[in-house]
Amino acid sequence: MDIRFNGKAIPIQEGDTVASALYRAGQRIFTRSFKYHRPRGLLCCSGHCPNCLMNVDGIPNVRTCITPARAGMAVKHQNARPSLDFDYLAIAQQFDWMMPVGWYYKNFTNPRMWHLAEAQIRKVAGLGDPPPPDAPEAVYEHAHMQAGVAVIGAGPAGLNAAREAASQGERVVVVDDQPRTTPGDSSYTLLSRSYCFGLYEGNLLGVLQSEPHSGARERLVHIRAKRIVVATGAYEAPLTFKNNDLPGIMLSTAVWRLIHRHGIQPGTSAVIISNETGDSAIAAELRNVGIAVVATVPPSDVLEATGSKHVTGLRTRRGAFACDLVVMCGHRIPDAGLLSQAGAKLEWSAEAGAFVPTELPPNITAVGDVAHALVRAASTLVSMPNKRTFVCFCNDVTSQDICDSVAEGFDHIELLKRYTTTTMGPCQGRMCQLQAIGICARETGRAIQETGVTTSRPPNPGVTLGALGGARHHPIRRTPMHYQHEELGAVWMDMGDWKRPRYYKSAQTERESILREYHAVRQAVGVIDVSTLGKLSLKGRDSGKLLDKVYTNRFSDLKPGRVRYAVLCDEAGIILDDGTISRPLADARGYNTGDPGGTRSVAPSVSAGTIDDFFITTTTGNLDFVEQWLEWWLAGAGWDVQINNLTSALAAVNLAGPKAREVLSALTSCGLSNAEFPYMACRNAEVAGVPALLMRIGFVGETGWEIHYPAESGEHLWSALMDAGRPFGICPFGVEAQRLLRLEKRHVIVGVDTDALTSPYEAGMAWVVKHDKADFIGKFALGKLESAQAQQSLVGFTMNANQIPEDGAAILVNGALAGRVTSARYSPAVEKAIGLAWVTAGAAAEGAQIEIRVAGAPVRATVTQRVFYDPDGARLRM
Amino acid sequence: MTERMWRPRSLQSSYDVVIIGAGIHGLATAYYLGKRHGVKKIALLDKGYLGSGNSGRNTAILRSNYRTPEGIPFYDASVKLYEQMSQELGWNVLFSQCGHLTLAHTDSSLIGLRVRAENNQVLGVDSKLIFPDEIKRMVPAIDISSRARFPIMAALYHPPGGVIRHDAVVWGYARACDRMDIEIHPYTEVTGIRVEKGRALCVATTRGNVAAGAVLNVTAGWASTISKMAGVPLPIVSHQLQACVTEPLKPFLDKVIVSATLHVYVNQTDKGELVLGAEIDPYQSYSMRSTLPTLEQIAGHTLDLFPQLHGLRVLRQWAGVCDMTPDYAPIIGRAEEVENFYMDVGWGTYGFKAGPIAGQCTAELIATGKTPALIQAFSPGRFRAGRLVGEKAAAAVSS
Repeated sequence: MDIRFNGKAIPIQEGDTVASALYRAGQRIFTRSFKYHRPRGLLCCSGHCPNCLMNVDGIPNVRTCITPARAGMAVKHQNARPSLDFDYLAIAQQFDWMMPVGWYYKNFTNPRMWHLAEAQIRKVAGLGDPPPPDAPEAVYEHAHMQAGVAVIGAGPAGLNAAREAASQGERVVVVDDQPRTTPGDSSYTLLSRSYCFGLYEGNLLGVLQSEPHSGARERLVHIRAKRIVVATGAYEAPLTFKNNDLPGIMLSTAVWRLIHRHGIQPGTSAVIISNETGDSAIAAELRNVGIAVVATVPPSDVLEATGSKHVTGLRTRRGAFACDLVVMCGHRIPDAGLLSQAGAKLEWSAEAGAFVPTELPPNITAVGDVAHALVRAASTLVSMPNKRTFVCFCNDVTSQDICDSVAEGFDHIELLKRYTTTTMGPCQGRMCQLQAIGICARETGRAIQETGVTTSRPPNPGVTLGALGGARHHPIRRTPMHYQHEELGAVWMDMGDWKRPRYYKSAQTERESILREYHAVRQAVGVIDVSTLGKLSLKGRDSGKLLDKVYTNRFSDLKPGRVRYAVLCDEAGIILDDGTISRPLADARGYNTGDPGGTRSVAPSVSAGTIDDFFITTTTGNLDFVEQWLEWWLAGAGWDVQINNLTSALAAVNLAGPKAREVLSALTSCGLSNAEFPYMACRNAEVAGVPALLMRIGFVGETGWEIHYPAESGEHLWSALMDAGRPFGICPFGVEAQRLLRLEKRHVIVGVDTDALTSPYEAGMAWVVKHDKADFIGKFALGKLESAQAQQSLVGFTMNANQIPEDGAAILVNGALAGRVTSARYSPAVEKAIGLAWVTAGAAAEGAQIEIRVAGAPVRATVTQRVFYDPDGARLRM
Repeated sequence: MTERMWRPRSLQSSYDVVIIGAGIHGLATAYYLGKRHGVKKIALLDKGYLGSGNSGRNTAILRSNYRTPEGIPFYDASVKLYEQMSQELGWNVLFSQCGHLTLAHTDSSLIGLRVRAENNQVLGVDSKLIFPDEIKRMVPAIDISSRARFPIMAALYHPPGGVIRHDAVVWGYARACDRMDIEIHPYTEVTGIRVEKGRALCVATTRGNVAAGAVLNVTAGWASTISKMAGVPLPIVSHQLQACVTEPLKPFLDKVIVSATLHVYVNQTDKGELVLGAEIDPYQSYSMRSTLPTLEQIAGHTLDLFPQLHGLRVLRQWAGVCDMTPDYAPIIGRAEEVENFYMDVGWGTYGFKAGPIAGQCTAELIATGKTPALIQAFSPGRFRAGRLVGEKAAAAVSS
């Protein structure tokens, strides 16, 4: 049973952490410090301090003192070259006079010098090495729990509270960082090897569980609790004296853990620094394992520790003592971060020598040591300025640095933190905050209470990005006909969460494939899957009223069997979405539904003849927004409207082209002649035996029908259309061909040709705004915009020469920026590159000459207001 | 004897200019009022410690690759002031002009980036579209593979963009102000503004009343509540914006990475920590308490870009309150309702970048009464006149 440390086998024992195994094997230096690369050894053995961070199995900055050792683990030191024992950068200590606190602010004020200096700083900064881009990923997961009472900490106080709550019939969850198992009386749920890192609004606890049973690396548990009991206890923070960071100087709790948990004798002769008079408990522990206690001295008598890579002695006012272990009975600090996050005040208690929580918010209680630190361990809170007395172990901030900063004016604890970076390292202030506050208070002559603490911020302890990110599911939405498209050679594009065929690979090049699809639609017939459109049904007496309020045009007067173009604006008159709204007819069998998918399930008697039903389509990307927007404006109105989102329940295709009628008539008994089914009409009918809602609309500019039908028949109807269309040369077409076809018709795509400032007036759609309606969203703003001089307008253009600009290209007039291209394509109908563009008002006239940047060079183009293809719309009505 | 950066002062009864808010915008305005216009009797009031608001909460990203003809020259001027700042103030603000990449993962975001690249190039700002191979050369750690749900299609590369030490900017300006005897009063909360006959006469604070020749509201998060004290309504809603920071790693990322599709931005400090930010929370709030769902979102999206960092620990998260205007552009100018009440507010998520130039322009406005050309488009009156600025289209994630 071994782990590998820098390639060398290190034996491990039952219950070992990585650090305890290394310590037993003789390792004393575990890390090199951040700034001065001073040797550092085990200090807290509780996962708080930065002294044992190593790379374990490729993960940097792992706290080895709380990481269970497992056979085969690969452990490497970090931030020391070539080795922990000998680190070149330890030379930095010799140059500490060049690097006093804030030295980088006071030097390199010349930007070129700073540029050079920064490059050097970045070569030596940081702790662990970043894993390579191809490093293996790990499994993380999220879980959610509800609890009557959540208890954080399974010490005696926490367990008491848990049992008491459980005895009152509460559902209790206990969170504890140790590998405990549930005791006999499993009256509560125990999450062991777990720590609570944040207490968020609404009593939400963020809990991180390592190595849950599922085999994931970590699990993040969200616990919502009616009541929270914080029993996090107290932790011990180091004392400050010269060279207090030498390996071999440890907190008493660390020594206790090495002895009791790991059976390690952490030295041979020890000096104890403690305020306790007489023989301390830790002295007895040391003697029990055969460590000679050379002396016990109070903190106020300590002058300095001696040694270079390990402590060799302690100089005190009572004399110098040789030793290989210094045990600090440090400050006992209530672990009150969670309480502070919840809004509790932290008040300085001189008696306890600690900040203790007061004014707890409702439903949050504190029990045990966290509520009141029991022992006043260290009276000498504050050390004198010294360049080798370390306050912050993470960032190598000394007591000298703190004093200098206060003298410079950084005399508020928050400013002091930001200037010195103390409390901002991996220990998150656990080891250093109290010292920094104490020094600040002394230097400013203020009371400690007045000096205050820095804001406690989650996550504390820190949490991995992996655990926070969880399983990272990225849903893909596929239409019911997805696999048919795949068989047809679809080349996919993402549209929100949806996958849509950009085009079908039917020729050598993308361009040829798209042109083939284009010509099929213009000359014969094409079919496109438009299932991704948002589809909403509105039922109820007041549906028309809601639509009139939310959309700019009028729908309450829409006749059954008709479809109308619909534009949605916000209060500022900006276009948010567009689509169609249809009012289906009651069909031959006497039932009417806004949702064709419902025709099977809705009994005829229920909805027969209702003419209050509307069917809305939205753009693919805006469905969620439109649904919420409708619900928002419906809320509180007291209107009879039910909104149903049918997007996933329905498939939809658009069949278009001069042969569309012939193809469709083979599959339906519905009359399709112009007289029976005119342009902008809708009908309920069966197509290939499938109940469907048909709309005669023409986004691509040819005679065509948009067919909405139940999703489960998605493939069936598609196949039927393809079969029926084969004699006519039917061709499935994708988004690219559709965009080209609609561009020739100058049909606008919201979000492509419009942006966050586009009103219907600038987009040339003044006709969709019905000002004679009593009120609608955006009426006030649109009223102003109607009469205002538009600053820019959406125009068409044709390129004078044979170049195609890219979407987004800049437009210049007399060399000045005058707009942008929204869509540009080569048009087979015009036999030139055409496009839509926003241009400033002055350049919007018919025939105006503009320049468009193509590959950075201006190319001439001509503005046109005309529709490029079939301007009269004759082909739509054929 | 160590020289203090700034000195504590007693609050006097009257000032030529009272500036409410001692963040970067307030300090910059005071600095330019003193330096360029000779106004010396200035008090900066702040309810907290120096830089305790959004000046110390932003992610300190600077760039000028905006979208509109109004925004581009304005932010470009700001970046240029930042470039000279260390020398001008004799204080290194640690401006790391490392370059800024805005990623596109969808067709529509690619077009949006092209619009910005084109407009930037026409207006003389260095930015261009680059594609995955070049992105990978620049940022070897990033995942450009197709295994991502939304693979990276392109990026807008903006070499002058970068990061700066936000606190250092605040401290540097504060020191320079103090040297001109401009008074900085932390822990001095404004509780009211007395307005008579269309003039702001007096500002009431928790430390007493001060008479003012001119009052400037340059607060963030509570801009509309301060302006309301003077009877000036503002079309502002406030949202939380959150960010977090990780443990340090050896520097491996020397570009600022922004992804609007993934709502995240990432940069690595000179100490090695990753600073990660989100876009504004979707609901309005004045809360400064950070939330777990946003942290999870930031973390997940960071891993979409850098999956190898799953074991890296986040050390703290925080929130700031952002004042959003209807068009995502600021409000700078004199109030229409009160003749000596000025505002430099509504900075949403992009205020830090603009601090120096906004301060310079606001100082000029207060000192001369003339509105500099760079801020004409941002006047408070534009909402009534319906002349909105088009930055909203580019501001989904605007760092």
